[in-house]
Amino acid sequence: MAENETTVIIKRRGQRPTEAFDKTKLHKSIVAASLSAQAHSGQADNIAYAVTNYVLEWLESRPEVTSHDIRLVASRHLRAHHPDAAYLYEQHRTTL
Amino acid sequence: MDIASSLAIVTLAALIHASFQLSVSVLTLLSGHAIGAKNSHARVMRLTFGFVSGVGVMTLLALSFISLVFLHVFGNEAPQFVWAIVCGLLIGVGLAVWIFYYRRGKGTSLWIPRSFARHLSDRSKATKSGVEAFSLGLTTVVSELLFIAAPMIVSALVLLQLPGQWQLVGIAIYAVISLLTLFSIWVLIGSGHKLSSIQKWREDNKHFLQFAAGGALAILGFFVYVCKVLSDATGAI
Repeated sequence: MAENETTVIIKRRGQRPTEAFDKTKLHKSIVAASLSAQAHSGQADNIAYAVTNYVLEWLESRPEVTSHDIRLVASRHLRAHHPDAAYLYEQHRTTL
Repeated sequence: MDIASSLAIVTLAALIHASFQLSVSVLTLLSGHAIGAKNSHARVMRLTFGFVSGVGVMTLLALSFISLVFLHVFGNEAPQFVWAIVCGLLIGVGLAVWIFYYRRGKGTSLWIPRSFARHLSDRSKATKSGVEAFSLGLTTVVSELLFIAAPMIVSALVLLQLPGQWQLVGIAIYAVISLLTLFSIWVLIGSGHKLSSIQKWREDNKHFLQFAAGGALAILGFFVYVCKVLSDATGAI
């Protein structure tokens, strides 16, 4: 998996401190969404690996993005692999 | 008011309570996090059962507490103006539910303070044991009080008039019926239904649920007003 520690993530429209992009965090959240959508453990890992790589490529030319941008890009790519997981991933912040 | 009418009012109030969605949202989030954290199915069921139990216990405690306060303040029969105020409250909350219950946009976000929503969301993610899930259930009922206070208050007023053993029956009926939605979701999760299907159904039908809850509150307020305030007033004349 490619590395990207230079991109800065702006969180909650600047209301929370910025942080460096953490690919492990994204990978974990995709795995969790896939497992919640009844994907098998191995499948969830593969999907998360593919989505995280896609996001890393997308980040290469962008020094600063918002957490919302990352969520949009990740869910768009996740939809191609597992639509139910993508739905749960998108809904996470709007369930409550 | 006879026992059958009183229990019918308690049943309708409990059904309205059951149609409110905060605890269902928290249960959906909790089970999503539990499954996503690779917990076994048995553990997911234990956590979610802990949550449902917490909601049930807090509902029982809240209704008993409100009834006890009313008993101390009003005795076995509340004055007419209190009934009239409660009917106004029911209709007012019903209208507010029609207008405000869900936030605009996608998803099932509710009009509760965002700090409450963030706290519940964070706690549902951090919950690892049955006891924590139980306490999350207790907290969820407190967060939902804004909406469930009205049906609970009218139930408490109705229960005061009943003989002792029927008061216990009424409280039990309220607690069981108000848990029906949560229990159904728990059974669906247990039988392997997808969380995404459950959440999709909730999102697709959110406006119907909102209309039903608001409408039922207004109808209950009107029914109690006619049954209690108007009939007593005309009886007195």
